[in-house]
Amino acid sequence: MGGRRAAGTLATVVRDVVGTLARVGLAAVWLISGGLKAADPSQTYLTVSAFDVLPAAAVGPVAAALPFVELAIGVLLLVGFGVRPAAVASTVLLVAFVAGVGQAWARGLSIDCGCFGGGGPVDPSRTRYPQELARDLGFLLLAVWLVVRPHTLLAADALLVGRPAIAEDGG
Amino acid sequence: MGGGQRADRRRRQAATRATASGRAVASARTSTSGSADRTKVITAIAVVLVLAAAVIGGVLWQRSRSAPPALTQAPVSAAYPVALDGEVVVAGKDSAKVTVDVYEDFLCPACGSFEERDGDKIEQALTAGTLGVRYHILNMLDDKSNPPGYSLDAGSAALCAADAGIFPGYHASLFANQPREGGRGHTTDQLIQLGHDLGAGDSFDSCVRSGAHKTAVSAQLQAALADPSLRRPGPDGGQYFGTPTVVLAGSVVDLSKSTWLDDALRAAAG
Repeated sequence: MGGRRAAGTLATVVRDVVGTLARVGLAAVWLISGGLKAADPSQTYLTVSAFDVLPAAAVGPVAAALPFVELAIGVLLLVGFGVRPAAVASTVLLVAFVAGVGQAWARGLSIDCGCFGGGGPVDPSRTRYPQELARDLGFLLLAVWLVVRPHTLLAADALLVGRPAIAEDGG
Repeated sequence: MGGGQRADRRRRQAATRATASGRAVASARTSTSGSADRTKVITAIAVVLVLAAAVIGGVLWQRSRSAPPALTQAPVSAAYPVALDGEVVVAGKDSAKVTVDVYEDFLCPACGSFEERDGDKIEQALTAGTLGVRYHILNMLDDKSNPPGYSLDAGSAALCAADAGIFPGYHASLFANQPREGGRGHTTDQLIQLGHDLGAGDSFDSCVRSGAHKTAVSAQLQAALADPSLRRPGPDGGQYFGTPTVVLAGSVVDLSKSTWLDDALRAAAG
């Protein structure tokens, strides 16, 4: 009986640690990618536009908002506030990215300016599609873990749900 | 008898206590999960609000920081004759022995580099009368400015500048002050102001504002895209058109060779 409980506790601790690593890892991904995008708005605009999915009028607002949405999700995950909703937002964003890269690949888009020497599909970009997809799917795995099991260590969420737990002890 | 009864009562009491405490725990758990649900909902709303704030903040920040880049007059020593041949800007003297076709977009970074490297030499040859250039102004990168459309605005304004007789200075100034791809282009007011700085009259105003040459610029692009002789091999073996493209005697010039102009002029002179 005692041994089984100890085993259960150990599994919980392992899951908590895995979840915490996923949370902090995903937070780092968003903070870095959001930071890089925010630092170079012109490039962000070109990147969004190159996917050739959005109507021209939507490219500007999306390119303007995207870096800050990524940064916000990164901060939420880092402090562990609203881990599940933040993970849901991460999932939605990552699915959109995977779809964007996938459709660019499928349509054989030339993700280049069409300028001198750059017109049409370029060798490096072609070979990078699978890696980009694999990387995004890896991040998606982290996000889905946190959607399914948002409980992690050192999260601000614990402070909020912690209060009723203390009330239960008192009653 | 007494001992058995006492034991029985104790057992019953314990059972009652257990049930009571069990009920208490159950009710505590219910109230806990209720308040936990409320916490979850509030947290989710807070997350949505944070993300909404990020969207609004991002759009406002983008709007506040994207002042158009400065557009000032570039010094041009050259004074070569310019005429419009339909949609093509024909520069240089009729007597020029070498004539090239140049396909350019005012937003294209490679065109900017090309003008920076070869622009002066081309202007000198145009002024000297040894070279004629047929400029095909295109709006290849219309969707690469934020907001879109700078390529077309600038191209149309450059043709207005040709009408107004200020093309050399206008063309050089637009490339010397080239906006960044993905960034904001020069505004219509700036494009008009540059024309006035270079000595254009009032008709230049209405020409730029009405976009009088926009159709011509788009037509030039369509013609260039449809012309197989303007294409170069891409890295994947396909044939692509890009800007800048320079055509000399029917074939596309390899611009990576920086002496292409000197070579062509020397060949014509010799």
